[in-house]
Amino acid sequence: MRFRRSGGGGDRAARETQILGWILVAPAMLLVAALVLYPLTQGFKQSIRSGGFLFGELPGYVGSRNYRDVLSDQTSRDAMRHTVEYVLLAVSLELVLGIAVAVTLHRVFRGRGIVLAILILPWALPSVVSGVLWRRVFDPDNGLLNSVLLNLHVISEPHVWLASGRGAIVYITLVHVWGVLPLVSLVLLAGLQSIPDEVYSASAVDGAGPWRQFRYVTLPLLRPSIAIALTVGTLLAISIFDEIYVLNGTALNTRSILIQVYNTTFVTADFAHGTALAFLLAAATAILGGGYALLLRRATV
Amino acid sequence: MTTLSGRLLKTVAVLAIVVWSLGPIVLGVLTSISTQRDVASVPSHWLPHDATTTAYHELLQGTRGAAAGGTVTEAGTFTRSMWNSTQLALETTAITLIVSTMAAYAFGRLRFRFGGPVLAVLVGTMVIPIFVIVISLFQVLADAHLIDTKRGLILVFVSTLTPLATWLLYTQVKEMPPEPEEAALIDGCRRWQAFVRVVVPQMSSGIAAVAAILVLSVWGEFLIPLLLTSTMNAKPVTVQITEYVGKYTTNYPILAAAGVLALIPPAIVALLLNKRIAGMLAGSS
Repeated sequence: MRFRRSGGGGDRAARETQILGWILVAPAMLLVAALVLYPLTQGFKQSIRSGGFLFGELPGYVGSRNYRDVLSDQTSRDAMRHTVEYVLLAVSLELVLGIAVAVTLHRVFRGRGIVLAILILPWALPSVVSGVLWRRVFDPDNGLLNSVLLNLHVISEPHVWLASGRGAIVYITLVHVWGVLPLVSLVLLAGLQSIPDEVYSASAVDGAGPWRQFRYVTLPLLRPSIAIALTVGTLLAISIFDEIYVLNGTALNTRSILIQVYNTTFVTADFAHGTALAFLLAAATAILGGGYALLLRRATV
Repeated sequence: MTTLSGRLLKTVAVLAIVVWSLGPIVLGVLTSISTQRDVASVPSHWLPHDATTTAYHELLQGTRGAAAGGTVTEAGTFTRSMWNSTQLALETTAITLIVSTMAAYAFGRLRFRFGGPVLAVLVGTMVIPIFVIVISLFQVLADAHLIDTKRGLILVFVSTLTPLATWLLYTQVKEMPPEPEEAALIDGCRRWQAFVRVVVPQMSSGIAAVAAILVLSVWGEFLIPLLLTSTMNAKPVTVQITEYVGKYTTNYPILAAAGVLALIPPAIVALLLNKRIAGMLAGSS
């Protein structure tokens, strides 16, 4: 009894805390267990079973077959290559433009509040709407891009932007970046503002010009924010779907992994291969996420 | 130290940010008040010759079965989808806020057995990409007869958004001074009373920011409702809009009108709460 802090009353309070804690957490846990964790295990089961009678086979355990099928399927491999292109392009654009935006908006100026409010708008809009707003720009017959380039005599006849392979991916990425850049910029801006002014005055005394200051003072101190921006940008780009769906549907030249999952599962009704591909993407996402987490730890330490 | 060229560069950069952010929206508004003829002419007229509200009329009252430049609309469908989105966003946000405020408080302030591991699992589910579960979710909801219902969608949205909301609110609880709650407990408040009367009001600014983020997230949901809805019973505006994209040609004024109407609610939320949203996004990520 000696060791109890306040005798019987404290005991009751501690028990009440235990019970209250579980009551308050229960709804969240039940919902997540029923509608996230349970479907997750069901999905995994599906990915290691055969497609069933629909595909002329007996239902049953097939091990890693669906995964091997998907990895050797040319359309899926193209989708993987496209996804890598989307990610690399989107993340590099977001980082370069994001740093430019953050540096521009770092110092106080008149109207900065309004510019910040405007900056956030593209992020707040549904990506489907972004796709709709940009669609006319890339219209093959009479889009903005064709009109401008024709007038400037850069091209001699209208170009079918979304039909060519590499170009189409660039334009869809641009629309994606339009929606994600605000988020990346805000993260980097917060990073910039956490750098104390003294650091700059010290380096100015040492005679460093603005470019050297940026290169040797700002960028290294910004590393944790850059790591976060990199993570957010990668995770959003690797699961790109909406913009592609609105701008080019399930066309082969712009298919991402997720569009391929959608097509396999809900257009050809092949749940087994669809879930297998989805789990491969999830694994890639998890590995990247883990890698970035390590990077972030090293950047902050 | 600021030179003239430096100031000029900065002005150009600020202008570029504004034009880049607003350009597509302005273009959408211009397209929505253009005639189909202006849009379809080669080269296209970017400023409407005679501004018209035809596209909005056709969008809301229907093209009367005839395809208007590749797009068919029906009276009332778009309005219905906007209403569906509104209901989905508000109900999901309300339920998610209740569920995650309770959980965030428990994780942040109460010492209960397995609290730490449970929080880790909950937050860990954030890294599960939604598309891995959406296929089997379809079957789970079909078994429960919740396909193509708003109730089913709300359940899915709440479950997938609760981990994020809980995490954002948890970080806020951790940053709040504990003294007000301690004082209430010393005054004889029961723990749950202290939570409801003292802690929740203390969390209100964080709750407002999370509410805004939730409303925007639900309004923008596309893949989940694309798969889990089929009729106007639950179809949100994001899914409805994609049906105005014609197979071969598209009536851009109608499509743009739909886009403009669908962006008004999230734009208002973002403009009203932009400082809080920005603070939360930059601070907790």
